[in-house]
Amino acid sequence: MLRLLPLLLLLQAFIVVTANAREPGLELVVTAPYLEMHTGPGRGYPVFYVVGRGETVTVLFSRTDWYKVRAPRGQEGWARREELALTRLASGEPAPIPPYPDFSTHRWEIGAGYGVFNRQNLVTGYADYGITDSLDAEFVLQQALGTIDNRYVGTIGLRHTFMPEWKWFSPTVGLGGGYQYIDDKVPPAPLERTDQLAYVSLGARGFITRRFMWRFDWRSYVVFTKQNSNEEPEEWKFALAVFF
Amino acid sequence: MEIRLSSVLLAAALLSGCSWFHRGDKAPAQAVPTEPQGEPSIIEPQVQRREVKTPKIKAKDFELGAYFGAISIQDFGTNPIYGVRAAYHVTEDVFLEGFLARSRAGTTSLEDVFPDITVVSNSGRHFTYYDLDVGYNVLPGEVFLGRGRALNSALYVTAGMGDVKFADVDQFAINFGAGARILITDWLATHFDVRDHVFETDLTGRTKNVHNIEATLGFTTFF
Repeated sequence: MLRLLPLLLLLQAFIVVTANAREPGLELVVTAPYLEMHTGPGRGYPVFYVVGRGETVTVLFSRTDWYKVRAPRGQEGWARREELALTRLASGEPAPIPPYPDFSTHRWEIGAGYGVFNRQNLVTGYADYGITDSLDAEFVLQQALGTIDNRYVGTIGLRHTFMPEWKWFSPTVGLGGGYQYIDDKVPPAPLERTDQLAYVSLGARGFITRRFMWRFDWRSYVVFTKQNSNEEPEEWKFALAVFF
Repeated sequence: MEIRLSSVLLAAALLSGCSWFHRGDKAPAQAVPTEPQGEPSIIEPQVQRREVKTPKIKAKDFELGAYFGAISIQDFGTNPIYGVRAAYHVTEDVFLEGFLARSRAGTTSLEDVFPDITVVSNSGRHFTYYDLDVGYNVLPGEVFLGRGRALNSALYVTAGMGDVKFADVDQFAINFGAGARILITDWLATHFDVRDHVFETDLTGRTKNVHNIEATLGFTTFF
């Protein structure tokens, strides 16, 4: 048994070391008069501890705009982003708290929304990558739920924002292509289940608050069928998005 | 004597080098004891400046988990349901959430009374939905377990839309509901939700909006 003890202690030490090695934790020095620690990640949670100027806190992780920190004496609580941004590294450099995403220069956005595709209810979800401030690549997956059929549409396109510096309302125009898949609800079955399609779009986007934005899009599609005439459905949709 | 002195010097130089290596806030020369003979230090500490890597702060804004419970499929009885959910917390108030779940409908009263009648085929009894929701933490707070433990919690409302596939037919459906989230640890949460899925159907003869209310219990992890 006694022989096992050192082994256990070694194991314990190893676990502690690896646990610490895995999460070294960012150490920040409080430079404001104090840093408030809340019991939870929200404005209403009470302040239960205060870290004084010159003391060091360890940042464990973040959730939304709040950071879980450990005080020098081991107390753990939540600090607000704006307050933690006032701290500094031991070297004196400003704390590496990532800046709040800026709407005019954001790169990624994800969104979802409701629309109408060819008089059918449309559920849409998309991801958007900003190549430049005014040119975006857009990846869209959507489902149009009609009374006769049920369509899945996936597109990739480019979109130009005319006035990216206009925050609340900025017109956009887009172009792209993709596929649709038709799943029939009532007979007869569609002549073709999978078709290529292309679209042009007109739309607008705007900032709402914090990290939220809205988009409106009207699209005119051309579905390349193997019949004599192409199908030309129209679509409009409204989406709410979050940007990064 | 010479050897001893030089070893002392070596040790001093190394130590001072180490201290400089670590913090850089003390001049290395200060730590070196003054040479009794006034000779310059033999060993120049050649220490490369360590590249300081600042640890990244991990964001734990995503939530992923599973849930189970009961759903009352209108006209088709109450049945068990199983699903998965994923959420992204945008702010302390608002989150986006997606659900994917499946149940199997029972029989209608009509089918119970007249066993020969079939309203929905056997394969069509699967009730599958996906939802895209927006949630709002209406009442964030804490719950207390005895004197010594407080767990963060939130009562939230969600609303959204998606697709319900029932009787082999996909229907556009809206959903709304409320739930409670209790964080057992920083990374593990338990949820209790009640949500209603509303869609239009003509399965039982006339076109009507059906309400399918579910009550579920789930567990999620934050990462």
